[in-house]
Amino acid sequence: MPGRTKAQDDASSHDADMQDVPPSAQEEISQDAEMREDAEAEEEEEEEIETQRVRILPGSTDTAASFEFTDEGHTLGNALRYIIMKNPDVEFCAYSIPHPSEPKMNIRIQTYDGTAVNALKKGLSDLQDVCDVVAEKFWSERQSFNAEQGIER
Amino acid sequence: MAPSRHAAPSAEEHLRRNTVGINKETVTNVSSTDFPGHFPGEDHAFSIEQFQSAFSIQFHRNEANDASFSLIGIDASLANAFRRILIAEIPTLAIEDVFIENNTSVIQDEVLAHRLGLIPFNGGREGIHNFLKWYKKPEAGEDPYANSFDWNTVRLELNITCTVNPDAAPTENDPLKAYNHAHVYARDIVFVPTGRQAEHFDGENAIRPVNPDILIAKLRPKQTINLAMHMHKGIGADHSKFSPVATASYRLLPLIHITRPILGADAKKFQKCFPEGVIGLETVTREDVSKPGSGYEGHLGELKAVVKDSMKDTVSREALRHAEFEGKVKLGRRRDHFIFSIESTGQWDSDELFLESVKHLKLKCKKLEQQVINMVQ
Amino acid sequence: MPREEYQVPTTSGGASAGAMTRGATGGERHDSRAVMTYICGDCGGNVTLSKDALVACPHCAGRVLYKERTKRMVQFEAR
Repeated sequence: MPGRTKAQDDASSHDADMQDVPPSAQEEISQDAEMREDAEAEEEEEEEIETQRVRILPGSTDTAASFEFTDEGHTLGNALRYIIMKNPDVEFCAYSIPHPSEPKMNIRIQTYDGTAVNALKKGLSDLQDVCDVVAEKFWSERQSFNAEQGIER
Repeated sequence: MAPSRHAAPSAEEHLRRNTVGINKETVTNVSSTDFPGHFPGEDHAFSIEQFQSAFSIQFHRNEANDASFSLIGIDASLANAFRRILIAEIPTLAIEDVFIENNTSVIQDEVLAHRLGLIPFNGGREGIHNFLKWYKKPEAGEDPYANSFDWNTVRLELNITCTVNPDAAPTENDPLKAYNHAHVYARDIVFVPTGRQAEHFDGENAIRPVNPDILIAKLRPKQTINLAMHMHKGIGADHSKFSPVATASYRLLPLIHITRPILGADAKKFQKCFPEGVIGLETVTREDVSKPGSGYEGHLGELKAVVKDSMKDTVSREALRHAEFEGKVKLGRRRDHFIFSIESTGQWDSDELFLESVKHLKLKCKKLEQQVINMVQ
Repeated sequence: MPREEYQVPTTSGGASAGAMTRGATGGERHDSRAVMTYICGDCGGNVTLSKDALVACPHCAGRVLYKERTKRMVQFEAR
């Protein structure tokens, strides 16, 4: 792993200064009031011990949050971004891969209404629904095509 | 919240939004714009019912190792996610460890091992997909063979020696006739079932190379290769030998729009600018002539160019290179029509593979959803 | 890459090394007579030499002798 030159908790230096960005739908807040500690959940003892692969990056608020996914890349990032953008409550959604050598993917969600975490959850669940629809249609098309063409498999 | 007035774009506008423009030297209108708030007054919020009604699939061919089908009404990010999963994240069985007892051939050990890893194998589906599980490499200090069981490792052997063929003519030059086993092929690899593998992989279902004629090495007399191999499951992201597809790719449906009539000799030339079957030649009918402003007036009976099947087009933009077609043709691609082509290497069926890829994406989302819930607890 | 590190053959070290690696390699014995077979460079025949023997091929008197490939098993990752 490449060595880190900055300490991981260097929160304020990652965010842009709030005065410089175009007007946002988020409320004006003072930097120190709403700052949450990065919510690193303790390792949950599930059936297989799964390391926590999603975390909220420091500097996130209720409606504007950045999430870091480990071991994910463009495959999930772009698909998830597209689905989350189709949510009318979402003001901003984008993903990036900070460095190609590290398997990390950051997603930023800013919402007009509702929490960013809810938007993320909705996005993941919508994506699952899409997969269901695709799989079902694919299988039924495949069956009818095989029947038409006389393919037995 | 965006306004709830549901103004639907006209069919023309819809086509315009969905078309990626292909010009002589540029490509225009590439990004998708179907997000809420992009077009005021329109509702582009995600709704599974709307997706379901707009989405469709058409199969073009479905052979065991080669499937071609179209996904219509889906966005590029999703189609690409399926493609990426097909290439990199579907588990396959391939040779991982090679134990060389003896190799006196001219092929170096590591080169031989590398070649063996790349050979695609086939076997009983039920055995490979359900019975065989993942293998975890033991840590550096542990016994290297501790984690190998019949349910995660398949053993193969290759033992071959080249000898002089006594029956060949003394002046024989062809090494295949002068020597026995001068060429080592993939079919010389022997599957050695261990434990319960004997039931899952017997007869038709035995683990065998997909293509038995792959040449592994060439030998001369007194040279011998004695080695054993262990196969494990892996994914393409780890090493491309684990990729289940020769390749999986998609292209967007090409669109050819003839805006002004192309007639007579021009029409023939136009037909030659595209692959066979894309452009057809028809005669101008009375009906065409009667349409005012269509440009067909006074050309009754001449040959005109008509788009027959744009799917066969390879979009070489040849037509844009000629001055006589300037302003008469518009090329483009439909942004939401993906023509997938999946070529499997043999361990999975092509159609099975796509389904597996969709399932995999769903599973990924499910796991992450649980993690997100854990994260905010 | 070979899985095992090279171990200098010594009388005491050889015995313990032999015991450790026995299962994997199939047992290489440390021979105190040092009778080794070599391959002649000119005629390709096998040449057995013991300690302090003259370095020459009995068949063709060629003096270039090559060592045979090791009898140890070598493991590679097929990558």
